[in-house]
Amino acid sequence: MAEPVRLRLVLPRVARAELIAGDAVEDLGRRVDFPRDTLAEVKLAVVEACLNALEYGAGEVEVELTVHPDSANPWIEAAVVDHGPGFDPGGQPRPVLAAKLHARRKRGWGLELIRRLMDEVEITSRPGLTRIHMTRRTGGA
Amino acid sequence: METFELSIAQRQGELAVLEVAGYINNEGGEAIAREARTLLDAGCRTLLLDLHATRIINSIGISLLLEVLERTIEVKGTLAFCCLTPSIAKTFQIMGLAQYTRIFPDRAAALVELVKVR
Repeated sequence: MAEPVRLRLVLPRVARAELIAGDAVEDLGRRVDFPRDTLAEVKLAVVEACLNALEYGAGEVEVELTVHPDSANPWIEAAVVDHGPGFDPGGQPRPVLAAKLHARRKRGWGLELIRRLMDEVEITSRPGLTRIHMTRRTGGA
Repeated sequence: METFELSIAQRQGELAVLEVAGYINNEGGEAIAREARTLLDAGCRTLLLDLHATRIINSIGISLLLEVLERTIEVKGTLAFCCLTPSIAKTFQIMGLAQYTRIFPDRAAALVELVKVR
């Protein structure tokens, strides 16, 4: 039975650091023949989680990636951890395009994209520790 | 790593085609918004963004594209996209962008339709 392949990254606070994690998703996924289009969706979800952590978090931003290659439906697991003040995941309004078009603030799509691109998303957050854990199977989302 | 490039590939009457390559993040999105504003202020009313060389748009880039869309709607123009990767197409579908923009499989198909409109 093939063992899961794991990778842990600590993102530097530099421009485009989120792409380091995104590229790692692609690299790991290719090793287990994860479909390219699905990988692109997982990459975007991980990039979004990293952007949140880099923008609103503090301290190190840690990314843990695991690919599970040994079933008929291989799957990817990703967790992004930061040590910022935390937020209420249930308190974030879902973005509506019609409203955003007339709003001054047009941002706020990240969590929605993560939830819609991944099969399962679990967000735990308290002051000092926020963790977004997400999974995606090959035929999912 | 996903170097961003933007160029005006075509200008024909009120139509302009912007070719976008690389990662659309805050910087890329701002560059597109700047160029789009200039074109709309100069009288362009149809903007086609050809994304054949773009593989990822993050949510900040998306919010800047919404600024372009808002401005285009204000001037009663059309914002269109072509050559989307499946993941970008899915992102746009999640946002509901197809209701407000026109999306084409390739540039040739887009030009046929958009030239007709103007």
